[in-house]
Amino acid sequence: MATMTRPAAEPQRTDSEPEFRPPKYRRPFGVGRDTVVQYAVLLVIALFVLAPIVPTLIQSVRSEPLYEDGGVFTLDGYVHLFTDAGFGTVVWNTLLFATLTTLLSLLIAVPMAVVVVRTKLPFGRFFALTMQWPFFISSLILGFGWIIMYGPAGFVSTQFRELFGGVPWNLYSIPGMAITEAVALAPIAYVFCANALRQSDASLESAAQVCGAGPFRILTQVVIPMLRPPMVYSSILVFSMSVETLSVPLLYGQPVDIDVFSTFLYRNGLQSVNPDYSVLGAASVVILAVTISLVAVQAKLLKDAQRFVSVRGKATRPRMLDLGWLKWVSITAITFYVVFGALVPILGLVFRSFTLIFTPLRNPFDFLTTDNYATITRYDSYVQSIWNSLIVAGVGSVVVSILAVFAVMVARRSTFRFGRLTEYLALVPQSIPGIIIGIGFFWAFAYAPFGLGDVLPGTIAALVIAFGLRALPSAFGSIAPSVMQIGTELDNAARVSGADWVMTFFRVLRVLITPAFAGSLVLCFVIMLKEYSPAVFLSSADNNILGTTMLELWAQGSTGAVAALATIQIVITATFVALAGLLMKGKHHA
Amino acid sequence: MPEVTVNNLRKEFGDNTVLHDNTFTIKDGEFFTLLGPSGCGKSTTLNCIAGLEEPTGGSITVGGTTFVDTSKHVFLPPEERNLGMVFQSYALWPHMTIERNLALPLRIRKIPKDKQRTMIGEALEKVGLSELSGRYPHQLSGGQQQRVALARALVYSPTVLLLDEPLSNLDAKLREQARAWLKRLQEDLGITTVYVTHDQDEALALSDRIAVLSGGHLLQVDDPHSIYESPAAPEVAAFVGRCNFFEGTVAETARGRHAVRLGCVDQVVEVASPTTATVGSTVTIALRPERLEVVPAGTETDGVNRLDTEVLSSAYVGSHYEYDVRLGDQVVQVESNRPGLTGRVQLVFDPEHALLYAQKVEQSADERELLTVDH
Ligand SMILES: Nc1ncnc2c1ncn2[C@@H]1O[C@H](COP(=O)(O)OP(=O)(O)O)[C@@H](O)[C@H]1O
Ligand SMILES: [Mg+2]
Repeated sequence: MATMTRPAAEPQRTDSEPEFRPPKYRRPFGVGRDTVVQYAVLLVIALFVLAPIVPTLIQSVRSEPLYEDGGVFTLDGYVHLFTDAGFGTVVWNTLLFATLTTLLSLLIAVPMAVVVVRTKLPFGRFFALTMQWPFFISSLILGFGWIIMYGPAGFVSTQFRELFGGVPWNLYSIPGMAITEAVALAPIAYVFCANALRQSDASLESAAQVCGAGPFRILTQVVIPMLRPPMVYSSILVFSMSVETLSVPLLYGQPVDIDVFSTFLYRNGLQSVNPDYSVLGAASVVILAVTISLVAVQAKLLKDAQRFVSVRGKATRPRMLDLGWLKWVSITAITFYVVFGALVPILGLVFRSFTLIFTPLRNPFDFLTTDNYATITRYDSYVQSIWNSLIVAGVGSVVVSILAVFAVMVARRSTFRFGRLTEYLALVPQSIPGIIIGIGFFWAFAYAPFGLGDVLPGTIAALVIAFGLRALPSAFGSIAPSVMQIGTELDNAARVSGADWVMTFFRVLRVLITPAFAGSLVLCFVIMLKEYSPAVFLSSADNNILGTTMLELWAQGSTGAVAALATIQIVITATFVALAGLLMKGKHHA
Repeated sequence: MPEVTVNNLRKEFGDNTVLHDNTFTIKDGEFFTLLGPSGCGKSTTLNCIAGLEEPTGGSITVGGTTFVDTSKHVFLPPEERNLGMVFQSYALWPHMTIERNLALPLRIRKIPKDKQRTMIGEALEKVGLSELSGRYPHQLSGGQQQRVALARALVYSPTVLLLDEPLSNLDAKLREQARAWLKRLQEDLGITTVYVTHDQDEALALSDRIAVLSGGHLLQVDDPHSIYESPAAPEVAAFVGRCNFFEGTVAETARGRHAVRLGCVDQVVEVASPTTATVGSTVTIALRPERLEVVPAGTETDGVNRLDTEVLSSAYVGSHYEYDVRLGDQVVQVESNRPGLTGRVQLVFDPEHALLYAQKVEQSADERELLTVDH
């Protein structure tokens, strides 16, 4: 009922005190500032989200690039895509890669979740914490690390070849990609399963135990079936993330010509001399359709499941089962995953940044050097890319967190009739592959008004916008739960005592959500510092960031410089998170 | 001070109708209570008056100002209604001192600083918490928080005071003291007050008039005495105070007195009631436990209604005894001052004390099971 008008009659004041007038808010044309702000938030988010999508849709059916005149409507892009562009192989590769990745990450995550959450495990809490590592390290860096250690000429591979005369693995293959990607995505599946296990009702298990079932029986008959729902959601999520990922397929697939969706776009858009933009557009639309429907299905399933959980009431604390000797097997397996999956490649990469030659054939300690860092400082554009990354992450995290706060307020704390729509729009970017965000904005700038289209491309601002869009769903997701914990009666009390929605926010809620805002800042900073895939289409000599510079140096074969930049990125992230942690802790105690 | 008129108030959440076209008027200066079991729509009604919910249909007018009228597309947002409201959780803003909590509504009304200070002082005085103005809400006890919430709702002299279960978070002892204190304060201020509670004792003790809600339907609006003594429907009788219900068939009826054959024991009892009943129709008789009396079997009494029963169980609850007696397969609750009755007894009641309803009483499965015994 947005067309509601205000009553004509003035409130009759019969009491003695004339200064007690109920507050009045100006409403030109019956529209108050609450409504204006709410529509503004919706509009900004809609613009932000649709900007890369709509031009992509248009480009997919136009014969000429968007920035050139004279294009006509055509379906040639789609026709070409499915007939002669080799897209069939790409679809098959992507399917294979994503399926393998999903299976492998479940294989790692499910037993680990069960063991860590539901059994008595020494250092259980420590292992649970270590599962957060992929949050801090980008999959690009992980890919570099894996190649340096396990690639055909990698440190570990060479050593292995020395000892046994050959290596049984080949990193530059679809299974190789899938293993690396699974190592990086397993923690996502782990979190879903671990949460489900923590919430699950222990009385079922106690009942089974009373009936004389041993720990293994309980695990297989009671615990595992409980994991089916989280396994389904996390499979879909991991699947859609491996469909969109660029890093690992790019690093492993390029040398041996294995293409998946993202590298197909990368090659056709960037590396071909004369890119066919309608094919590129059509491919982007197809991939978007896949990822968006996957995430929609996942969100739907999750929502249904939550409805189910909420009616179940309070769960008792789960019992810890004792696995006996098997727990040492579990510990070994988890340690193996953490050490060989993450620790060895990352430490190898860091070590590589301090040496000239990195092979077991020669003692690397003989070649210790800081030359790799010197290479970086020698070139302004490399140093600039570090600053650019910091600026994009710094400015971007503030902008995105502010936008997310407003989105959450409109979606969850207002009676705005498009509140739900605002929330959906804010969450849509999680299903848009980063590379498509890059391509989309690249085309969107062709439409930008006020000559912005000429100014924005190649600037840091363009990256702030594109990376910001990628981070928006995470910012929304981290702020919304904290806001929901603040009782609505606090807002209602402010409203009744005379504050409109805008004033309620600034006078009451703003202070209360400061911790959530700070949390979102840290999260967005880390995400945006790691991000690079939208930048491959938006970068120029002036706005290179850590990720694009590393890719460039990698292509040139400057592995040492890549390792140095990767180390710098890791150090920045670690320092920032540590400082933020300290600051927030201090605030908490004050 | 204004009158609150609620006309055909209707609220739907999706396809769930929470309020069914309720109409009532709250008089100027009245202490008006919305009473009903939880989930019956009390808070929704109050929120519609406050403007925190938009009704699906109907209108609300306060002292000549239309707050909401769906037929005319009028909706005044809560911040412009100038009402005071106290919430169940008190909803004190945790990051502000008590003084700043009270100052916010005054700052919004652009009242000068010095005037603000005196008004805050007066409001805190009223609730007896002047010395705590510098504290933060979490430094106060529950009772103090509740009084601060009240002071915050009163500091800007609202037209109507709305209270949503303000005492339910206090412990039992404190609740009774707070109740008396609240009643005195409201009488002193003379402010029109709408009070929401699911506690019948609270409603009876505080209110000038009570509106009983059930499942979104307004069952009765009346003063506490009438609500208790002549409930308009069996549901009201059941919710306000305890009540035994008997089904029966009218055997004879003359000049407001009816002879009813009870279904459970096949005996005829006499009931005096203005309710019209036709011979042969099924009716419900309602009897409050304290209006029933048990006497040892064989005692001579002069009442007309005497039923032979036996004691199933008895309990001493301090001020009186509570007996469960059997009438056919039905358990009847009786409050009595007579100690130590067992075995066969007589159940006695005055025809004037029985309530007669034409409709049947819907009991929940739980109630039915608890109040039924085997022969
Ligand atoms: N925002 C809402 N959305 C859907 N249903 C609601 C909402 N608020 C209240 N209800 C439903 O309306 C009914 C009445 O609620 P309420 O007025 O809060 O009851 P109470 O009498 O306990 O205060 C309940 O059944 C509740 O589930
Ligand atoms: Mg309520």
